[in-house]
Amino acid sequence: MGNASLEGLKIIEMTEAWAGPVCASLMGDMGADVIKVESFPRHSLTRPTSPRYATMPGDGPVYERDALHHQGNRNKRNIAIDIRTESGNQILKKLLSDADVFIEGYAAGKIEKLGFGWKDVQKINPNITMISIAGWGLEGPYKKMVTLGAGLDATTGHLSLRGYPEGDFVDTHPNFHSDATGSSTIFFAALTALLQRQKSKTGTFIDLSQWEGLVWQFPTILAEWTMNQRIPERLGNDDPHIVPHGVYRTIDDDKWIVVAAEDDQQWEGLCKIIDRIEWSEISHKYSSIVGRIKGREEIDNAIESFTKQYEGFNAAEILQNNNVIASPVVTPPDVLLSSQLHDRSWHQTITHKWTGPVMVGGFLWDVEPDSLSWDIPTALVGQHNEEILIELGYDEKKISEFYTNGSIGNHYEN
Amino acid sequence: MTQPLDGLKVIEIGGTVSVSAAGKKFADFGADVIKIEPPQISEVRKIAPFPDDIFHIDKGAVHLAFDTSKRSIVVDHLTNSGKEIIQRLGSKANLIIMDIPAKEALDLINIFKDGDSLLTNIVTITPHGMTGPYKDRIENDLTLFGWSTRSHRHSITGREPLRYGPYAGVVQIGSTAAAVGMAAIWGSRSEGMSRLVDVAGVEALMGNVDSGFFLWAVNGALQPRSAGQSTGLYPMGAYKCKDGYMLFSAGRDPVYSRLCNAIGRPDLSTDKRFTDPVEKPKHFEAFKEILEEWLSTRTKYEAFDELQEKGVMCCPVLDASELENDRQSVHRKSYITRNQDGIGDITIAGPPFRMNGLHSDAWQSKPAPSFSQHTNEILEEYGYSKQETIALFRAGVTT
Repeated sequence: MGNASLEGLKIIEMTEAWAGPVCASLMGDMGADVIKVESFPRHSLTRPTSPRYATMPGDGPVYERDALHHQGNRNKRNIAIDIRTESGNQILKKLLSDADVFIEGYAAGKIEKLGFGWKDVQKINPNITMISIAGWGLEGPYKKMVTLGAGLDATTGHLSLRGYPEGDFVDTHPNFHSDATGSSTIFFAALTALLQRQKSKTGTFIDLSQWEGLVWQFPTILAEWTMNQRIPERLGNDDPHIVPHGVYRTIDDDKWIVVAAEDDQQWEGLCKIIDRIEWSEISHKYSSIVGRIKGREEIDNAIESFTKQYEGFNAAEILQNNNVIASPVVTPPDVLLSSQLHDRSWHQTITHKWTGPVMVGGFLWDVEPDSLSWDIPTALVGQHNEEILIELGYDEKKISEFYTNGSIGNHYEN
Repeated sequence: MTQPLDGLKVIEIGGTVSVSAAGKKFADFGADVIKIEPPQISEVRKIAPFPDDIFHIDKGAVHLAFDTSKRSIVVDHLTNSGKEIIQRLGSKANLIIMDIPAKEALDLINIFKDGDSLLTNIVTITPHGMTGPYKDRIENDLTLFGWSTRSHRHSITGREPLRYGPYAGVVQIGSTAAAVGMAAIWGSRSEGMSRLVDVAGVEALMGNVDSGFFLWAVNGALQPRSAGQSTGLYPMGAYKCKDGYMLFSAGRDPVYSRLCNAIGRPDLSTDKRFTDPVEKPKHFEAFKEILEEWLSTRTKYEAFDELQEKGVMCCPVLDASELENDRQSVHRKSYITRNQDGIGDITIAGPPFRMNGLHSDAWQSKPAPSFSQHTNEILEEYGYSKQETIALFRAGVTT
């Protein structure tokens, strides 16, 4: 039995890729009854039917072993419905009739065509919160535009300042930061609406543009322009007001460490370790941040002369023990070297029907007194069809009929 | 109409970027957010840019954006007198969010304990969590990103790993804390139990998507550290057009075929050089030449409109000067301009989600408070006499 903060809430999630699914998993972590309405017979983006780089080892269908799908779908039940069919449409209506939150991720306008726009949903359940998470929202000239998280990043100005200072955009890796942050924004939106419902006694609709959910997080990008008419430059890891503030080589090939000293005290600790104690004395130009900013290159070279003698975790340990900000640049396998994460039992081992026991990353937070638990590994397509349909009042005969007429399913055709 | 979170009281302690980001959504949606700032000036107030590059405690861009709609009180939480103030404020709060060193956080948690019970919900934000051998380590946005595995992937093999934009990591951590804080509030309202939530920055970043750990853990895959343009599955990444760059996510069908049709080269969607997974990487340069030739006659907005019309996932790469006037931003009023005392008009991002209608007053951005603006007001509200307030000031607990 895990955390019960959201116990009693019923969440219907009909989204793909990451921001929506991860949000729903986080709600499941906190005790909500989350039902994922899986696309059927079309398989979702994260359920490919042929192997790819993210396919996990094991037997069984490829679409049940995609890591990108597993990453965003724990702690949910799964029902696979073709909502274009009459029966499928009725099943979704029943699901929504007593749900607290409905999260949908179709392109703008699509859900209305399927008969589940806000006006329709409101009639089914006036108390429900419905959240649409189209990339640019449901209104505006871009509402029909399609994108993934990398595209949203490009249009917030974030991509324009990521990357190597001397590089070009072609060297900058697309990222999925909007997915990583979008889940918590959707989560917050859902609970804001539920708290409002306690007063208003009625449901609400939320138009959550994932672009708007991302752009508020970058105030410095906009302000450089609006305050000082400057377009922020790509600075790599540099900070114009902090020296040192960078990433340095370690003794291992292509392994790195971050080092920063934000004030004179941290700087003094660093000088001791890199054998430049005189650089922290009042007579030396680098004892002042003003001098350090002018001497960035020489300081970086001195730090790297030190870090190149050590493995990253060891160097970070030495520096941290002297009050210096430092961390190894962790690769995925390095995560297992962190005594901290082991001490906190962060990693989880889950058992899935087709992959067997696998180690995965842990939760985003820990809670007392009722800690989180990974109660439901990523569900199979339609794994809970029968269980959920019986809860909705259907009998076995009817359920069998749904399978026969294609309203529901529990596997995809390859 | 009242705002959705009217009636909620949230206390924010620490003055960091993370905790300021965490409190922002609560405040803008109507909660009474009291920002307890240290006498030594909050981190969030020190961050550039400043108007005309003249630093000022009340004019930093991050403070102006993240501290909207809050009240500011200065309290030294390390003193017993300061802890007494925090205890009085916190006992009436629905949630306390704090981003201070673990040992200081533990001291404050203890004043809200009644035996095994907690008197209010508390979310702690620390780099590594409240327990474990690294709990007292000092980190910043750059090192937290280094820990998250995301920095490593955001680089080219052999070259130094890179962070994202400034403060991207710590803002994500703050946003995570806000979400779980809401869950704690909901839980205590429905079942009467307060919770203690431990948000470790490293875990919040590493446990979410965009981290490479999950993928490696479950199938041993290490994502390539290649340049932005994928040479195996393309077009993915930024490509040059007439006046800038376009970002494509069009490497897979059916989007790839739509692109081929849209640029007048439907043959490319069946040409084995560009569709066979073994052959495709060998012909990246040839494809790039074709695509960039098409793009070279179009501006990024022309290409965006033309390609999106055909269902191709692509977006213009915008810089800071282009954000406010982007058509979508203008239509939705995604940025707002409002008056800030001592500065005049400033522009910040609008609501992160639209509730009760596109332009409802569910979200309201009131000016960010000046340093200690509400210290007297809040102390009086919580029962301190004027002489007691002076005594606290005289003792250096407030300022």
